[in-house]
Amino acid sequence: MEEAELTTRLAGYIAGQMPQARDVAISNVARITGGASRQTYRFTLSWTEADGVARQRGLILRRDPADSLIDTERRVEFEAYRAFHGTGVPVPEMLWLEEGADALGSPFFVAEEIAGFQAGPGALWSSPYLETHAILGARKWEILGQIARADPTALGLAGALPAVRAEDCWRRELDHWEAVLDADESEPLPIIRAAIRHLRANPPPPAQKVGVVHGDYRTGNFLYDTEGGVHGVLDWEMCHLGDPLEDLGWSFNPVWFFGRGMPGGLLPRADALAVWEQASGLRAEPEALKWWELFACVKGQAIWVSSARAWMDGANRDPILVYPAWALINAQDRAALHVMERL
Amino acid sequence: MKPDVAQVLVDLAGRVARNAAPQIPAAQRAGELGLSAMLLGLAAEMWDGAAEILVQENAALRGLLASGARVSQDNARRRWLVELAGGRDGSLRLSALQGANAELRVALIALHAELERRDDPEAKDLEADIWRELVAGAERRRLSGSPV
Repeated sequence: MEEAELTTRLAGYIAGQMPQARDVAISNVARITGGASRQTYRFTLSWTEADGVARQRGLILRRDPADSLIDTERRVEFEAYRAFHGTGVPVPEMLWLEEGADALGSPFFVAEEIAGFQAGPGALWSSPYLETHAILGARKWEILGQIARADPTALGLAGALPAVRAEDCWRRELDHWEAVLDADESEPLPIIRAAIRHLRANPPPPAQKVGVVHGDYRTGNFLYDTEGGVHGVLDWEMCHLGDPLEDLGWSFNPVWFFGRGMPGGLLPRADALAVWEQASGLRAEPEALKWWELFACVKGQAIWVSSARAWMDGANRDPILVYPAWALINAQDRAALHVMERL
Repeated sequence: MKPDVAQVLVDLAGRVARNAAPQIPAAQRAGELGLSAMLLGLAAEMWDGAAEILVQENAALRGLLASGARVSQDNARRRWLVELAGGRDGSLRLSALQGANAELRVALIALHAELERRDDPEAKDLEADIWRELVAGAERRRLSGSPV
């Protein structure tokens, strides 16, 4: 869909959601590049209230592409954002969710834009951000601890996300991502297959609690400022119920070290662990955490090979799908070797 | 390396040409060309060493499979390993080398899994050899900007 048509149809949709408003219009539509699982646009919504007051608001549109890097239900992402809005975990406000294709050709949601902050990790490696790594890193793992501490039932997420027993968390996730590898890998992966055999032969203990798992909590998926503050945790499309150690393991995946030798490129591992344990009230038992760190390598590899598959099948030729396949598949193999202490 | 470099280059050529059109929004052009440039850089680095890496890896894997043919306790697998270990890279086309590499890797995975289930020294020695080659292979394929 061309941008002009998208603008017209989106304005029509939003006008239908705001029956009290007049002169609903959309301007400044701009695609935000970089997202591989959803097409993301920022735009300005302007309207006139019933009392005649003219208003404007910056908003975000997240729309499903023909084939995305991660196959997920957009309702999961929408409900996760909505559940955490107004809590200590900063997230943008969700406004409208549309699961059908009538309005814009594919499912989408519209959310508040949190403007004025960085999201991509590229800016972090130079001043003024370089000097804030300790603060930003502490805040990053504090928020992850808060997500782990959260009660899914109190948040209203227990009914929105599939239930899982504490002893089944690991198996459900490993089964899922191994099946993705089986379906999508275009080249055999001996290192990751060895990792999967190791994980199955040495399962972790049951989860200390079944909590909310963000699913992709890493540097690059939150909005940060020049003072080390975090203003929005993004990309909840893989959110599910499970073992909170899963998120911690994913945040320790060496592909997110950015060549700086520490988790997220931000904080020494021991410091990140201490912050997370304090904020979550949980303990990261070393062997259990190691299991989830190796699992993170399997999950990462499944996502990267899916990205290659999506491009190769031709359903989505966005070059963003090529990047992880080329740049991260061998890096993820190396990360698995690192976690298994063979590199 | 998948998707194939040649296919991606064709796609990028079309993308760059489309972005030369004056009506493309500046932000979109910047995003697409920036990403295209990054992929072109990766392609340049991978392209130069791709054949050499595959030839080296295929030779190493055939050596491991030949050892596996002597050590495996599964008759059908032994015959399979003998056949693969006796192969050679008759063509230096990347597609041919990749095809052979995939066959060899499938066999290596099966052999590796068998050796893991055994405790005898012969199996453990060959398992250690396989791990050495997996580490060496990951090292060969490492890109200069790799995060790990």
